[in-house]
Amino acid sequence: MNLDNIKKEFPIFDEKIQNNDLVYLDSANSSQKPKVVINRINEFYTKQFSNVGRSVHYLAVAATNLYENTRSSVQKYINAKDKNEIIFTKGATEALNLVANTLGQKYLNEGDEIILTELEHHSNYVPWHYLRKSKNIKINFAEINEAGEVPIENIEKLITPKTKVIAINHLSNVTGAILPIKEITELAHSKGIIVVVDGCQGAPHLKLDMQELDCDFYAISCHKMYGPTGLGILYGKKKWLEELPPYQGGGGMIREVKKDRITYGDLPNKYEAGTMATAQVIAFDQSIKFLESIGIENIIKHEKELIEYGQEILRKNNSVKIIGNPKNKGGVLSFTIEGVHPHDIATILDEDGVAIRAGHHCCQILHDKLEIPASARASIGVYNTKEDFDQLNESINKCKKIFDL
Amino acid sequence: MNLKELYQEIILEHGKNPRNLRKTENFNKDAQGKNPLCGDNVHVYLKLNDQRKVEDISFEGSGCAISMASASIMTDLIKGKSDNEAKEIIEDFLGMIKENPELKSNILKEDDKTKLMCLSGVKQYPMRVKCATLSWHTLVSAMENDGKEISTES
Repeated sequence: MNLDNIKKEFPIFDEKIQNNDLVYLDSANSSQKPKVVINRINEFYTKQFSNVGRSVHYLAVAATNLYENTRSSVQKYINAKDKNEIIFTKGATEALNLVANTLGQKYLNEGDEIILTELEHHSNYVPWHYLRKSKNIKINFAEINEAGEVPIENIEKLITPKTKVIAINHLSNVTGAILPIKEITELAHSKGIIVVVDGCQGAPHLKLDMQELDCDFYAISCHKMYGPTGLGILYGKKKWLEELPPYQGGGGMIREVKKDRITYGDLPNKYEAGTMATAQVIAFDQSIKFLESIGIENIIKHEKELIEYGQEILRKNNSVKIIGNPKNKGGVLSFTIEGVHPHDIATILDEDGVAIRAGHHCCQILHDKLEIPASARASIGVYNTKEDFDQLNESINKCKKIFDL
Repeated sequence: MNLKELYQEIILEHGKNPRNLRKTENFNKDAQGKNPLCGDNVHVYLKLNDQRKVEDISFEGSGCAISMASASIMTDLIKGKSDNEAKEIIEDFLGMIKENPELKSNILKEDDKTKLMCLSGVKQYPMRVKCATLSWHTLVSAMENDGKEISTES
């Protein structure tokens, strides 16, 4: 598929948003959906619906096969060694909660230490914070540098004999910094430390190869990856998923239930309790196919060019201050305008159909560090163009005019 | 939607140069308000004297032009009023933002009402109503609930 006309694949761009063409720069929050994904959900509910994994009737068997097909597609897409290392969750948040909770139950002991970074999204901090309360686990934050990156040395110097887990994001949703996961994993594993990666921003924009990255866990948010909401993926190394206890209890995850004992099912069922987001899983197969049809190398090239263009024009716009300047940067451009609060920026931009995010982007630790209460963020997807950044710049100028800058 | 209605001169001016942005010395009532969705925060201080008159009122915090202007205009109008008058003004303002087309209270002078009505532009922007009302809810808490922290998300 060619990136030049890719907007045509996304029906939302045919809509007028408050009489404007949509300039969607909020993909780090959630991506828009290609018609193949939308149509697949409709088709599944219209012609093929059944719950999966339980009944033996025709529809149930067919739906189960479709559901498992997606698991295989994901396995291939992220190059996991085993299909059973792919666990569907209700979101990346649940995936990270699953890891923190089960590691807390079985693997972590009082006084153990966990290393996070100052870049972490609240979903890769709050679940670990619970362990502070319940197990007296200590959390250390690796500091960012001036560029908004976390150099590996800043992680290394926090490692002590008590460090058990390093939980880090792959790509910062504020500064756009891409963390050197492979190197961090090598370092961590040399000291027997588990690596958990929040891959929410990495998965839609970077090449994923679990065997190469070698991390122990990797959490994915499907709705940021041109897929449906209500769906996440946890990749976990088989040895961990087998060793750790179940997370939620319910139907589908058991082997045998007696009045005095319960045994649990094998992977992946052990971690998929209850009726799963069936239609979303099945439609997500189309998201993977969509990404594959463009090719991740093409996506990376397109987004790199675009974000460099965006940085260039915003740098020229005085009073705009870009947050972070990482060498290795993904499709996120956060900024402030001296004298205009990000919420006012977002409201004024919205009037022109320019959709950005304003706030702390679930990263209060980082905003405290930067000593700003909030920032504005433009983030891109495959469908964005240089014209989108031109419009962003024009609307920023309108904003400056209103505020007499 | 009309940006000009939202960002009127008075709002922009108060947003840029907020009145009473400081901490009242010897305050005897205060409360904090937070909007966890955006990180905006406000701390309202007031000094009620023995006659239950607002001798001084001030605020600290940071936020968008709407929230700073709203807190600024609020403190300007509440200063010098009795606590009952203050409550009537608050109720009137919150009622106007929520549903009423006009302000009803007779306590405020016409030009004060005009100032407050400048904030009515947020009615067209549901996501921004909280920006305009956070400081007012915080003031209510300071006066009534012994300073219980206010959150826009309950």
